[in-house]
Amino acid sequence: MRSEPVNRLSEKGLTVWRLYGWMQTGAVLLLAIAAGVLTFFFEWPWYIYIIAGAVVLLYGWLFIYLFPKIRWSRWRYEVRESEIELQHGIFIVTRTLVPMVRVQHVDTAQGPILKKYGLSAISISSAATVHSIPALEAEEADELRNRISALAKVAEDDV
Amino acid sequence: MSEPRYKLHWVTVLVETLKALKEAILPLAVVLFTGSRNNTSGNWFLDNWSLVFGGVLVIYLLSSGLIKWRRFSYWFEDGELRIESGLFVRKKRYIPFERIQSLNYTEGIFHRPFGLVKVQIETAASSGGEAEAELTAVTREDADIIKKRIAEGKKRKSQEAESEFEEGMEHAEEELSSEEPEAKRVFSLSPKELILLATTSGGIGVIFSGVAIFLTQFGELLPLDKVSDELAGLIKFGVFVVVLLILLGLFIAWLLSVAMTFFSYYGFTVRVSDEEMIITRGLLEKKRTTVPLSRIQSVSFIENPLRQLFGYGRLLVHSAGASGEGSTIQLFPLVKKKSLYAPLHEIFPGLDLREPEEKLPKRGRKFYYRIDFLWMIPIIAVVGWYFYPYGLFSLLLVPAVMGLGMWQHRSAAYRIVGNQVTIRSRGISLQTSYTMRKRIQSANIRQTIFQSRKEVASIHLNVKSGMGTHDVTLRQMDLKEAERLLAWYEPSHEVSGNGHEEGFVDLEK
Repeated sequence: MRSEPVNRLSEKGLTVWRLYGWMQTGAVLLLAIAAGVLTFFFEWPWYIYIIAGAVVLLYGWLFIYLFPKIRWSRWRYEVRESEIELQHGIFIVTRTLVPMVRVQHVDTAQGPILKKYGLSAISISSAATVHSIPALEAEEADELRNRISALAKVAEDDV
Repeated sequence: MSEPRYKLHWVTVLVETLKALKEAILPLAVVLFTGSRNNTSGNWFLDNWSLVFGGVLVIYLLSSGLIKWRRFSYWFEDGELRIESGLFVRKKRYIPFERIQSLNYTEGIFHRPFGLVKVQIETAASSGGEAEAELTAVTREDADIIKKRIAEGKKRKSQEAESEFEEGMEHAEEELSSEEPEAKRVFSLSPKELILLATTSGGIGVIFSGVAIFLTQFGELLPLDKVSDELAGLIKFGVFVVVLLILLGLFIAWLLSVAMTFFSYYGFTVRVSDEEMIITRGLLEKKRTTVPLSRIQSVSFIENPLRQLFGYGRLLVHSAGASGEGSTIQLFPLVKKKSLYAPLHEIFPGLDLREPEEKLPKRGRKFYYRIDFLWMIPIIAVVGWYFYPYGLFSLLLVPAVMGLGMWQHRSAAYRIVGNQVTIRSRGISLQTSYTMRKRIQSANIRQTIFQSRKEVASIHLNVKSGMGTHDVTLRQMDLKEAERLLAWYEPSHEVSGNGHEEGFVDLEK
């Protein structure tokens, strides 16, 4: 068995994902309320209330509790001297390998929510693909970005 | 020093105008034919507005070609190709010689009587099949000058980089004076193969005709005797006529596609020099495409089941620069598998063309078709319910899909040798990809929980193709083997004992 990459995301990342989950659940709740109102006025069958409520609860449980938890515990990364290795995925576990030689550039990005929690996302671009590490402590992300870009410059083309 | 400015040949006016007319034909037709109906209102302008607008449009189109020709000029300065064009907005485009990757030539029917060519200039940045710059019509001599100036410019640049070597200078000058080395012809399409290509390339047309013939037979089975006899006769006759017309239409479409393939692949030849391949083809319109060898990312041999039966296939290469035909280039449009290796070896001497022999484990086979039940069961349920009992024929989907899955599983194979990986997989056509390690931009192993229980995994190798990605995939590999492939790809994990090529590379590092 190949060993997993060692580093984990910031624990605040889990909080942020839960927050996204709350927001999405809020949107679903609004839809459910709309369905409820329509049911009330057009006198549709009573069980629509129950379905709407169940959908909101299930959605909330999945997207606020379960998925962020699995996603966070699955997410690993490791930046070594000559390659970057990532592992992520809820249903399909993907392990990605990007050699330093193939790295074209590295960006960090920070939206308003990530900023509030002092987090930052890194995206690593090769000539054909883009890979991102979604939630790291801002300073750690900056440091990692600098390190990757320095390593990518040093890495020499083989063959 | 002021450089001479070159103009395009006057045929440009004709070519550009016709091109503009062709593009504007639909709006023009709409304007002319919708407007000219209601000419009874008495007001001259209201009656004839469509003619006025149409006329203005035509004049604009006609003059646009003339303006383009008058205002277009190009010259060479400071190691750059400079192009100036446009009437109101003067556009200037400066392209450094060393960024020019290839020059493609096309000879249309208007070019040929005057010995002209259209020159398309490709750089790494040209995207979406569009060239960075296009010279609509220049004489052959001018095209040669362009080529020579660019080659000179590139050489001068590389000389500057190593100017301490005086010997190098002399050597380079010597090289400059001699003509470019003759490119060696490695592949050409024989007349027999050309006809075979033309007649089998409209494959979909053939299949459609087959289906139509089947349907006419099936028409007999329709429950028409339940309807009254006269009506049945009428419907049968109608069905017959419609089917006949459709067949005729398909046949004509197929003939057209045969003719078009024939014309565009006529005289298909691939030549190769040290640094590039040159593909020439076409009967009425001659095309010449240049592909720098260093830009080629991956080579694939594709055999569709019909052609595989007769031992034929086609060879594609994925290139990083978008050329006229997009990033996937048909290198050999039709080639006998047996005679593929000699020409391919001349172009890519380093490529290992042995058949991939390592197969997939049997325990992963069910993953090739199991997921398909997700869409099959609802379809069969719906069709079977509404079209009972004939709808139950949809149950045949199950063995068909399972059979295809097993066939895909059986066809899949791989081989890792030195710095190259060969992966064979089947959608419906069998595709064998030859990829060098340094051309793989990143690699993934993917596994669902079901796959991890059976210890199989799918591997994805991402190769650059034009502006996008070509994903070389092998599903349901043995997990250990997939991990071995990933380890082979991992720079810090150079495994020894994988053939001596590997060791050789290690030494170089």
